[in-house]
Amino acid sequence: MATVKTLIYLIVYPGLLFLFLYSTFVEWYDRKLYARLQNRMGPTHTGRFGLLQPIADFFKLMAKEDIVPDRADRKMFSVLPAVGLAIVFTAMLLLPVWNYSLDRPSVTSFNGDLIVLLYLLSLPTFIFFLAGWSSTNLFSTIGGARVLTMLFGYEVPLFLAVLSPAVLANSWRLAEIAAFYRQRPALALVNLLGFVIALICVQAKLERTPFDIPHAETEIVGGTFTEYSGKKLAIFRLMMDAEMVVAAGLLATVFLGGFPGGALLGLVNFIVKTLVVVFFLSLIRATTSRIRVDQVVSFAWKYLAPLAILQLLIVILVKGLIS
Amino acid sequence: MKIGAFIPELLRHLFKKPATVDYPFQKLEVPRDFRGSPYLRPELCIVCRACERDCPAEAIEITATNEAEKRFRMVIHNDRCIHCAQCVDSCPTDAMQMDTRFEISDYDRHNLKMEWEYVRAVVKPKSEPKTS
Amino acid sequence: MKFQIPIGPQHPALKEPISLRMTVEGEIIRDADLRLGYNHRGLEKLAEQKTWIQNIYLTERICGICSHSHTTCYVQGVEKLMEIEPPKRGQYIRYLVSELERVHSHLLWLGVAGHEAGFDSFFMYTWRDREIVMDILETISGNRVHYGINTIGGVRRDLDEQQVKHILDSLAILRERSEYYQHLGTNEPSFVARLAGVGYLSREDAIALCAVGPTVRASGVPMDVRKDDPYGIYGEVPFEVCTADTCDVLGRTVVRIKELFQCYNIIEYLLKNLPSGPVAVRAPRRAKPNEVVSRYEAPRGENIHYIKSNGTDKPERLKVRAPTLGNYAATIKMLKNGFIADVPLIFAAIDPCICCAERAVALVDARSGQERIISMNALKKLSRQVSAGNARKREAEWPL
Ligand code: SF4
Ligand code: SF4
Repeated sequence: MATVKTLIYLIVYPGLLFLFLYSTFVEWYDRKLYARLQNRMGPTHTGRFGLLQPIADFFKLMAKEDIVPDRADRKMFSVLPAVGLAIVFTAMLLLPVWNYSLDRPSVTSFNGDLIVLLYLLSLPTFIFFLAGWSSTNLFSTIGGARVLTMLFGYEVPLFLAVLSPAVLANSWRLAEIAAFYRQRPALALVNLLGFVIALICVQAKLERTPFDIPHAETEIVGGTFTEYSGKKLAIFRLMMDAEMVVAAGLLATVFLGGFPGGALLGLVNFIVKTLVVVFFLSLIRATTSRIRVDQVVSFAWKYLAPLAILQLLIVILVKGLIS
Repeated sequence: MKIGAFIPELLRHLFKKPATVDYPFQKLEVPRDFRGSPYLRPELCIVCRACERDCPAEAIEITATNEAEKRFRMVIHNDRCIHCAQCVDSCPTDAMQMDTRFEISDYDRHNLKMEWEYVRAVVKPKSEPKTS
Repeated sequence: MKFQIPIGPQHPALKEPISLRMTVEGEIIRDADLRLGYNHRGLEKLAEQKTWIQNIYLTERICGICSHSHTTCYVQGVEKLMEIEPPKRGQYIRYLVSELERVHSHLLWLGVAGHEAGFDSFFMYTWRDREIVMDILETISGNRVHYGINTIGGVRRDLDEQQVKHILDSLAILRERSEYYQHLGTNEPSFVARLAGVGYLSREDAIALCAVGPTVRASGVPMDVRKDDPYGIYGEVPFEVCTADTCDVLGRTVVRIKELFQCYNIIEYLLKNLPSGPVAVRAPRRAKPNEVVSRYEAPRGENIHYIKSNGTDKPERLKVRAPTLGNYAATIKMLKNGFIADVPLIFAAIDPCICCAERAVALVDARSGQERIISMNALKKLSRQVSAGNARKREAEWPL
């Protein structure tokens, strides 16, 4: 019985199947929203309101010819998408949606899971870099170098911004942080600045406009993914969608009070809150134009990092006041 | 400079109807004088060959099928036609006309060919062929 | 660490084939080289085999965006050769379409600039509003792209009251929207950060390298054929030549937006003062032996057609100098010491129309400086030699 349960847990809910469906749904939501903000229609025909379009795209890519460049490191090149997907899906399991119970922590909820989650979210960036690097294509190589350069910019502010709520809540466990802010909603307002910083950094992490520099199509074609095609590209795209869900989930947990209400209501909460975060991400994407990689780094260190430190100082002050 | 100068405009359009049209399920009307494909009204053609001479794409082909009976055959190679309507301008009798179809693509270019076989008409030209 | 990256012949930033080779150091371009010849269509030769009237439609197809510019330039020249003068109303309609085309071309360019800078919302909105002017053009000429409104001796279609009213109404919307884009283009920080200071071309360089159109005007040189050598009705229409002195892509954007407003004024003037009468005169089929150079200010800059007639109904020679060709030399200058990220913007800022500019393949030997024309077979051989000499590289080098 336990085996069946574990299998269902891994494969159906919240494992592969659910994550796959939800990621594609979020992609649809993002695309539709982006299109409507631009006075376009967005996907309309595959399924009701075009809901199945991302899935159709996924299967279409799966069926396409899969080419590995001659000079690429074949093993590395092929294994990266799978590893990346695995990492992101593992990170997804850490979100306190499926392991909401505070008293009986399961394997995926432990003290310090916030750090692990952040760490797991950093890994895809390296996967992108390696993907670009192992393609040996010039455009990919430049893309890969840009991925890393950007990482130096946004990673520190992101960590600082996400850690400050944790400092205030005095816990490194996601479920506990969320519970803390649910009990004292007023304190969540203290982290408003951090939330904005984290939104911007997450946008950079997901490589979306204005930070879509590593795969800026008008400059370096497909960037990191120039050489990827077929199944591997499909998996990379799925991975990026899933990464968006995880990042949105992370922000919702630490800044928006998590997903209360047990298995069912918690799920509803999860969906609503991640969609709210994705709404902001889409809005940023629609409002801005792509900036240059040197501008990202200087922007991050000139504005984001000092502001993130300021946020941390505020949190420490507030903490002193309430205790 | 203002951060997010575009946001009000974007949000305003979020609740508006999209500007795009759901083609091919919905179609826009083309204007009245749209230049579609040329067609012939054989009852007016006096076979002056002005259209054949002026067509920049050499899409019009007129051959005599029976000299004695004054029977002629005109083929408009719509696959070569560039829809410039010069033939309409050149024609002295309004025998050449434009329709307003624009969805004329086909898998086989020969299906685009249009053919008429007719006896030469005796009509008085409105004017001399315009460009002779 | 230096290495070469190719942009084109096929590249998402280029809608047409051209090859840019750049030697870069990290993200910075040290040297750039431009190769043409991927889109040569033999148009000039073809023109020698077609009659004057057929050639109108041929020149129209030199370019999709400035189709009217090429026909007008050609038709102006042919009219001079045939010694005829189109009636006033015909001229007004002809240059009305010219200005409408300029509006659509500049709006298109704004969108492309937005897209190249990764500002897709801007792109979507400008192109949506460009549809207004496309619709006007479609109603007055019967087609969206190849208007085919010119004929030798005038224009082919007349305007009626309803159309005049329709255009004037649409102009109000376009004006309002252009003001909004002007406001937006100079206010959205991430967009301005991408445009300002990029692709610097000093006033002296612009003149020395014979840049044309908005590119030279953005370097502070008020050069516009419509003012310097007025053709058609431009002598009697009031308008200003727009310039900017920032010498960068932002300046080129500003010049184009300012020109939009000038275009609206010209269109309004033309419609309000539209004379009555016929729109065309009868043109002869032949032209006396003579030659003529016709100049025209296309949306991208000065367009020149040289036409030679020999007494038959066909031109003996038609030579086209499209504006893009005039801007290539300046582009190389602008690219040097820029960022890779700015290449699409700089290149797009001249509003390149590659198939306009493709005329002949001339290879310049870098060492001897000699120019020679090479046959296809020799080229193939050459390419084989070059690729055979290259060792296959496995180790890619660190580009940071
Ligand atoms: S529309 Fe133009 S191309 Fe077509 S048949 Fe008539 S003259 Fe020839
Ligand atoms: S120009 Fe008109 S009348 Fe003359 S051949 Fe053509 S269709 Fe017939």
